[in-house]
Amino acid sequence: MAREMVVNPSKCIGCSTCALTCSITHHDEFRLQNAHVRINKKDFSGIFEICFASTCLGCKKCAGACPTGALKIIRTEDPTTEKPV
Amino acid sequence: MHGYAGKILDINLEAGAIGDYPLEEELRRDYLSGVGINARILYDQAPAGSDPLGPENILVFSVGVLVGTSATTASRTEASAKSPLTGLFGTSNSGCYWGTQLKCAGYDGIIVRGRAREPVYIHIEDGRAEIRPAAHLWGLDAWDTIKTLRREHNDEEIDVALIGQAGENLVRYASIENGYYNAWARTGLGAVMGSKNLKAISVRGRGAVKVARKREFVKAVEDTRQAVLNSPFFGPFSRFGTMLVTLPYQEHGILPGRNFQAGALPGWAETRSRKLVHKFSSRGIACVACPIACAHWVEVKEGPYAGLAIKDMEVTPVIGFGAGCDIDNLPAVAKIGEMCQRYGLDMVSAAAVVAFAMELFQRNILSEEDLGFNLPWGDEEAAFMLLDLVAKRRGLGDILAEGVSRAAERIPGARPYAVHVKGLEPFLMDPRGRWSTWTLGYITNVRGGDHLRTRNPVENLRFNDNPEPYLTEKFEFPEEMYKNLDMPEELKKEIFRTPAGDVDIARMAKWSEDLISLYNATGMCIRPPVLHTVGPTLLSRLYSALTGLDLTPEQILRCGERIWNVQKLFNIKHGEQPADSDYPPRFYDEGVGSGPARGRTLDRKGVKRCLTRYYEARGWNPETGAPTGAKLKDLGLEAD
Repeated sequence: MAREMVVNPSKCIGCSTCALTCSITHHDEFRLQNAHVRINKKDFSGIFEICFASTCLGCKKCAGACPTGALKIIRTEDPTTEKPV
Repeated sequence: MHGYAGKILDINLEAGAIGDYPLEEELRRDYLSGVGINARILYDQAPAGSDPLGPENILVFSVGVLVGTSATTASRTEASAKSPLTGLFGTSNSGCYWGTQLKCAGYDGIIVRGRAREPVYIHIEDGRAEIRPAAHLWGLDAWDTIKTLRREHNDEEIDVALIGQAGENLVRYASIENGYYNAWARTGLGAVMGSKNLKAISVRGRGAVKVARKREFVKAVEDTRQAVLNSPFFGPFSRFGTMLVTLPYQEHGILPGRNFQAGALPGWAETRSRKLVHKFSSRGIACVACPIACAHWVEVKEGPYAGLAIKDMEVTPVIGFGAGCDIDNLPAVAKIGEMCQRYGLDMVSAAAVVAFAMELFQRNILSEEDLGFNLPWGDEEAAFMLLDLVAKRRGLGDILAEGVSRAAERIPGARPYAVHVKGLEPFLMDPRGRWSTWTLGYITNVRGGDHLRTRNPVENLRFNDNPEPYLTEKFEFPEEMYKNLDMPEELKKEIFRTPAGDVDIARMAKWSEDLISLYNATGMCIRPPVLHTVGPTLLSRLYSALTGLDLTPEQILRCGERIWNVQKLFNIKHGEQPADSDYPPRFYDEGVGSGPARGRTLDRKGVKRCLTRYYEARGWNPETGAPTGAKLKDLGLEAD
């Protein structure tokens, strides 16, 4: 059964745990700059953008670490209304 | 170096000198980081008798060692100096991204000495630090300063620690703002920064935090995360943030309503409690690495404050301005919060000062002639005007900018209404209506009257019961919670009179202060899901795996105790007297005015009994509250 990641920025709280997890997983150190996923905050609207670099290999560790479901792993055969991106 | 960046920036503004302060292994092992290192440096180097606003005061920022990693809630940095409000150890803790940036720029902290001749700011970027002119920033509020610095550096990602006009004008409870919405607020550190002619410290770090034992660290992080996520406090805190407490405070009658004249306020639940959080907010905002997101993004869509959008709806301004000043609408409170952030004012002390002035107005001690306007309870426009006078030290604002304690000495007849401990205004729950570990902390806290460094990790706010007056409080949780506490078993037996039974307030106070010292010395947050779940075992695992310096749970707990003791030694060195650790007379002599706790006062003998037990639990002299020689030797502080 295929696993896909659903991205829902409206659930993002801006904690960057995804990016920290990415960097320790792939670079053996914590460095937000090197993460393949990045959170951009908008100071005056309280929203966050979730951006993936072209270097992302799609390991989905970031989704496993996301505490809110802004990044979520689903099985594509599941009868979910959410569409993978 | 693993975990740490490896050096502390040491800047003398007088000489314009920039150097490094050694971060020896002994310092790291004994004091970890954050408040620990700040306390050690300040105790050793801040001269007794010195003026907190003089050039000899030292301002230290230390980033928590876990900051920059994914350790759950590790985002916090401690700022400390001799406090212009208390004359004692001034210290404050703040999260978000500034500390992460500083560490990734190559520094575990910054020591700022001396006073610049002209306004300056410090810019730190990837291992380089510069002192730059800031005359063009002087006079700007905090928000405009951040915007200007980001534009000038052509970099929207720099984070800034800075002061607004209140810090420039040496308001004794000025905060150091941390970006737009956070702050090192308590104890007046913004005035220290202003006294140094230092407007801002902007940081940009693109470096890495290295891990000594990756697999072990990742496992410790995951266990910490699961502990926090599975805490029964997680859901409510994530949903309501600190606004969670607003209803039980009203129900017990322990609000500081109208400057501690009313323990409960009519219409509170409908106008200012957590019931309204989701009317104004649909999402939480987190610090880095935190799943709790206790802060809320607030948008006001109608009424006179329509269009206001801000990270807010936090208990501090709501209790302070909402209850203390009886301002009965949350959008107005949010607007006052914005004003405090822009001027750079500690919202707790600022609310206490406004409430104090409102009571003086109620009692005809202050008049319209004194102020230039009327100052009735609940008048938000008057509160705006008063805070404006304070931040700019104009008119009566010049006296009120000194804080409640000093202002009461200068306004005839004001002293009975001045609520402070050691010069710092405690402005949250009323200890007369609820006696607990938390309220004992108002007088044991090394930074003065404040609620954030002594807190029972398993306090149940629904209940209000002291089986042994002044000595115990009820536990009131399932036994499983007792069993799961990350606390040494022998300590559990001492603190809980019976398994899962009554809590010994004095011993719990010591435990919580040592534990909170550890959070503030590692960068963890003190919010209840953490306070309840993360103890010396998890901290030992996180610290050891990250740094490669192995500390057992016992050793790390000892660090927490050592750090608390060094802060106390600082206070004694700088003139704290035993009698200072006491509540203001109002709490003994005047009953709560209204609500369920109506008529309740504190009992001097009861308080003294509990405080003596606390000193005994600490191994301090039970009369003077000074650490004994034996205790200092036990902590490796015999040379102090």
